[in-house]
Amino acid sequence: MKILFKYLRAKVIYNMKELFIKTYSRLKKIAYGSLSIILFFLLWEVASDIGLANPVLVSKPTSIFAAIFKLIQSGELFIHLSITLKRASVGFFIAILIAIPAGFIIGGFFKGLEPILAPMLRLLEKINPFALFPLFIFIFGIGEVSKVVLIFWVAQWPILFNTIAGLRDIDPLLIKSARSMGASKTFVFFKVIVPSAIPNIFTGIKVGAQIACFMVISAEMLGASKGLGWLTVTAQANYQIPLLFAASLCIAVLGVAINELFAWLEALVSFGRQTTFENIKN
Amino acid sequence: MDYLIKLNKKLLSYYLIVVFFILWQVGPSLGWVDSQFIPSLSQVLDAAWTSIQKGELLIGICISLQRTFIGFVLAIIIGVPLGFILGGWLPRVSKFLSPLFSGLSQINALTLFPIFLVLFGIGEGVKVSIIFWAAFWPLMFTTISGIQQMDSLLIKAARSMNADGVTIFFKVILPGVSRSIFTGIKTGATMAFMMLIGAEVMGADSGLGWIVHNSQVNNTIPRLYSALITIAILGLLINYFIEWLERNIITWKEEVPE
Repeated sequence: MKILFKYLRAKVIYNMKELFIKTYSRLKKIAYGSLSIILFFLLWEVASDIGLANPVLVSKPTSIFAAIFKLIQSGELFIHLSITLKRASVGFFIAILIAIPAGFIIGGFFKGLEPILAPMLRLLEKINPFALFPLFIFIFGIGEVSKVVLIFWVAQWPILFNTIAGLRDIDPLLIKSARSMGASKTFVFFKVIVPSAIPNIFTGIKVGAQIACFMVISAEMLGASKGLGWLTVTAQANYQIPLLFAASLCIAVLGVAINELFAWLEALVSFGRQTTFENIKN
Repeated sequence: MDYLIKLNKKLLSYYLIVVFFILWQVGPSLGWVDSQFIPSLSQVLDAAWTSIQKGELLIGICISLQRTFIGFVLAIIIGVPLGFILGGWLPRVSKFLSPLFSGLSQINALTLFPIFLVLFGIGEGVKVSIIFWAAFWPLMFTTISGIQQMDSLLIKAARSMNADGVTIFFKVILPGVSRSIFTGIKTGATMAFMMLIGAEVMGADSGLGWIVHNSQVNNTIPRLYSALITIAILGLLINYFIEWLERNIITWKEEVPE
């Protein structure tokens, strides 16, 4: 009995030590990583003070952070951020809802269609979304619909093509071995095909999210009345330079946050696979 | 008969595109789609021809290409050497700076448009700097990764044959990295062109993006479509051009049989 208690106690202490070490090393990594960014802001501040950078044109980081704080206080940041996120999310989720089934249809059920459809679709993908946006504004009017359609259009291509690629790259041996053990078609679909394709599909989703985030900001800059992109353009038009930098910084942080979120999700989904090591992004 | 089958296979990819164009012509003319929103192909080509005759389209193409070219060349001049220095000589500095670079590169160029506008005033500087920013990051990153992925065995082999630094650089390192650099060039050029159109739609008074924006404001929709098609064709041509360059410069690459 006593031995059992001793064992359990040792195990708990070991786990806690391990957790502590892991957190500590992760904090160290984060601190080391942010060092360059902190240094960047410090140098920026100093450059403004020395006179290397005109503080009127290029606001000092302190005034930028003051502007951000003011935005948070007045609640404006929350309003604009939620509007931007809402537009992006709606377009993005519609893209997922349409592109993944379409990818399964083109890549899986009607595989013969792929060489016919693919060049056409690739051509459509290459059409510049910035040039399409005025067209969408004309067709759908200035309002939420045109932006959501634009985001949907832009986000669906990576998802669609990655789904098709994911279905194409399934090892046929897996399917054959499942069938040879008497698996039904439904079983093969849900337990063999879908899990094999998920990493590719998720890559598509990740890229789609990044593009959606990027496009929503651009669309808001071009024609909107609220949202982070609009805030940036308005600040520039009214020559409120600290606000301009503050909004741009928020957009940058938003982009990084979305990327990190999807990288974390991807790690969750692909717990069994070996992911390629990206030391510098892209 | 055999020849026809082979020909059919090759053309299979393009059938749908042809069908698409036929539908485009027929649909609006027959009233399937409101021709105000989607004018028929002949109307678009008509508008394009008028545009060319007025000189507007050609000038737009030249201006857009010129801006892209200047910004892109600047990005190459600064990005590639910087990539070499960071990737080859100062790898630890590059590792230290990588969170900063990663953060900065994720800020897309158009977000910085208002900032650049404030810094450079309305004019060519803004657009060139946006193109520079858009093309610089892919170029630098691919250069750095190209150098880091180089087989050090090759360099050691050259050293063991008493090659000096310059020879090693030009005959070993440069060819080894060129494949990555060309990937970066392709990505950079595509991003640069895309951003340029965005910048022109946002705030310019000339160029293809401006034509699109102006058409939307003035409701001359066929003109909008003609500019749209021109942009798409131009993008494709740029891509083909870079691939052609790559094929002719990297003559030593062995094609991996697929």
